[in-house]
Amino acid sequence: MQERAASALPRWAEMTLVMLKIGLFTFGGGWSIVAQIQKEFVEIRGWLTKEELLDIVTIARSFPGIMVVNIAVMLGYTLGGTVCALLCALGMALPAFLVMTAVTACYTAIRENPWVSRVMVGVRAAVVPIILSATVNLWKTAVRDRTGLVIAGLAFLLPVLGVSNILVIFLGGGAGLVLQTLRLGRSRKEEGGEEK
Amino acid sequence: MNTILELFLVFFKIGACSFGGLSMIPVINEEMVGHGWMTLSEVTDIVAIAEMTPGPLGINAATFAGIQAAGLPGAIAASLGAVTCGLTLCLAGSIFLARIKGNPYLERFTYGIRPVCIGIMLATALSLLANYQKAGGGISPAAVAIGLTALWLLLKKNWSVPKVIAAAAALGLVFGGL
Repeated sequence: MQERAASALPRWAEMTLVMLKIGLFTFGGGWSIVAQIQKEFVEIRGWLTKEELLDIVTIARSFPGIMVVNIAVMLGYTLGGTVCALLCALGMALPAFLVMTAVTACYTAIRENPWVSRVMVGVRAAVVPIILSATVNLWKTAVRDRTGLVIAGLAFLLPVLGVSNILVIFLGGGAGLVLQTLRLGRSRKEEGGEEK
Repeated sequence: MNTILELFLVFFKIGACSFGGLSMIPVINEEMVGHGWMTLSEVTDIVAIAEMTPGPLGINAATFAGIQAAGLPGAIAASLGAVTCGLTLCLAGSIFLARIKGNPYLERFTYGIRPVCIGIMLATALSLLANYQKAGGGISPAAVAIGLTALWLLLKKNWSVPKVIAAAAALGLVFGGL
């Protein structure tokens, strides 16, 4: 087995470089990036345990924003403080930003080409199926009971009727808070009034 | 209002309302089309291009939208806007990590958010069905056939998204003129 030479770089610099690498070479977003982070920091470097990473991912997911940038920030802070957190976020986002700048320039230049527009007919046709399959994959963890099903149904109907998506999102969050709190209170009461 | 500032604010709003993956698309769609920064088919293109390029989808979308609306400064403003909310909350979250871990309110909030993501994603998919029209109106049979093939590859054959897009692009090149 090959022994990994101790890096000459300070930890914040090594972390930023690894984040740049993950940001540049990982396709398919979210979970494939989490898998890379686990490999680089848990398996190769052993800087934190699998459980510590899982805690970070769980919390970063429930905050709004871009999940992997959130994870990079929390990981960076945990292992190296505030500056390291910001550098990790930059490292994660910068490659995508640079690549997209180039791609957008090409897109604008070639989109009128008749061959390209034929290709785009096919590519656009694939986007609705991509969104549908993403909802299928999300379904099991997202819709856990009948209440979840009702919330999902309403969240589908309201935007179709012209309600803004942002309002729907926060109504959903509020509904989750209220319903789960009520439900918990009720089940506590049923367990017995001896608590009081 | 200054377009650069507006891009920052709009993407701040988008970032603050995104809870994972493609659930960002409905809000992006609403805001971009609403501001006249993009057409429905350009929003569709973003999803496809973002899936084909490395890195997080949110940054890809913000960069693309920012450039379309106001060039490179627009892209920087949009990307910064998209990460600001999450960045601030996560920094605060890391400091109070021990206290937040297993917080019941956070979990109850996401209990309601996740099904909403599904609902609004389906609603957006419905509005994106407009992409299956021909330029002159009427349904494009080629686009519908490619869409059904892509759905089959994704759900039944478990193909990865970039592979499906590549296949759809090839089919489009051959049949897209129909």
